[in-house]
Amino acid sequence: MKIKLIIIALLFSTVSIGQGKFLTKKGYTSFFSSTPIEDINADNNQVLSIIDSSSGTIAIAILMKSFAFEKSLMQEHFNENYVESDRYPKATFKGKIIDFGKLAKEEATVTIVGDLTIHGVTKKIETQSKIQYTNDKILLKGDFEVKVADFGIKIPSVVTNNIAKTIKVTFDYDHKPYTK
Amino acid sequence: MSKKTIIIIILSVVLIGSIVLALKMYNKPFVNIAETKPNLLITSDVLVDNFSNNEIEANTKYLEEIIQVNGTIIAIDSDKTGKGIITLGNEDTIGSVICHLSEKENEKNLKTGQTVNIKGICTGYLMDVVLVKCVIVP
Repeated sequence: MKIKLIIIALLFSTVSIGQGKFLTKKGYTSFFSSTPIEDINADNNQVLSIIDSSSGTIAIAILMKSFAFEKSLMQEHFNENYVESDRYPKATFKGKIIDFGKLAKEEATVTIVGDLTIHGVTKKIETQSKIQYTNDKILLKGDFEVKVADFGIKIPSVVTNNIAKTIKVTFDYDHKPYTK
Repeated sequence: MSKKTIIIIILSVVLIGSIVLALKMYNKPFVNIAETKPNLLITSDVLVDNFSNNEIEANTKYLEEIIQVNGTIIAIDSDKTGKGIITLGNEDTIGSVICHLSEKENEKNLKTGQTVNIKGICTGYLMDVVLVKCVIVP
């Protein structure tokens, strides 16, 4: 519920003229687990991400059930047993693009810090991201790693060798100015 | 045949059988949306209302269900892989239903303002209700 308030606050808060909200509803997030036994990849093209360009604040919401796997059994196990997406239907991130106001070039690398919540557990993360910033878009692109155990996700011992301890998360969010 | 041979034959049959079964389970196909009857028929406005009024209740009702939504197209777009995205709703309200089409579907013949029926799997609610693997119902 909290993320919703932040999103609403971000969208409707007053901003200085000439700067505003940038948004995407079709952001891409994937995760990748690699072990000698198998590689598992899941894609999500339904990610909501909002940037307030006056402050560099960013809020992201991800539906866990939107992750599409190569095999339906993997998707079933992911939702039912690992991330328990009935109880925790969303992953969220709220944070800040450091020195966003000081960006001088259209293309740069920025540091993003904030709170990532998955499976009801919140962790501080810091990651590098490529950024392209013009008047009509903000593109963020990058990847980072998360430890499965950090988010209280239990992997049964039978499949412990099939699922990596550290998962690579890739993101690609092409924000457009929010006009509504 | 000696007892030993019979036991070996039985064991191999059981072994092969379980491998086949395990492989079949491992490779269990996804539901074919196009050929599956929807569990629910609803208009985009009612669906959005249900989620905005009580998201938790709507989640238990709609998540992972195959839903057929009737609504007016307000936007046609595509994601970075080229799959179509159809937004159903009306311009006056903030919430809408975002339908991510399956690979085989083609949004080229659709126009904004047109009323359509779209069938897909509901994955939840962000600012809008999200449906994935959608097919357009003729």
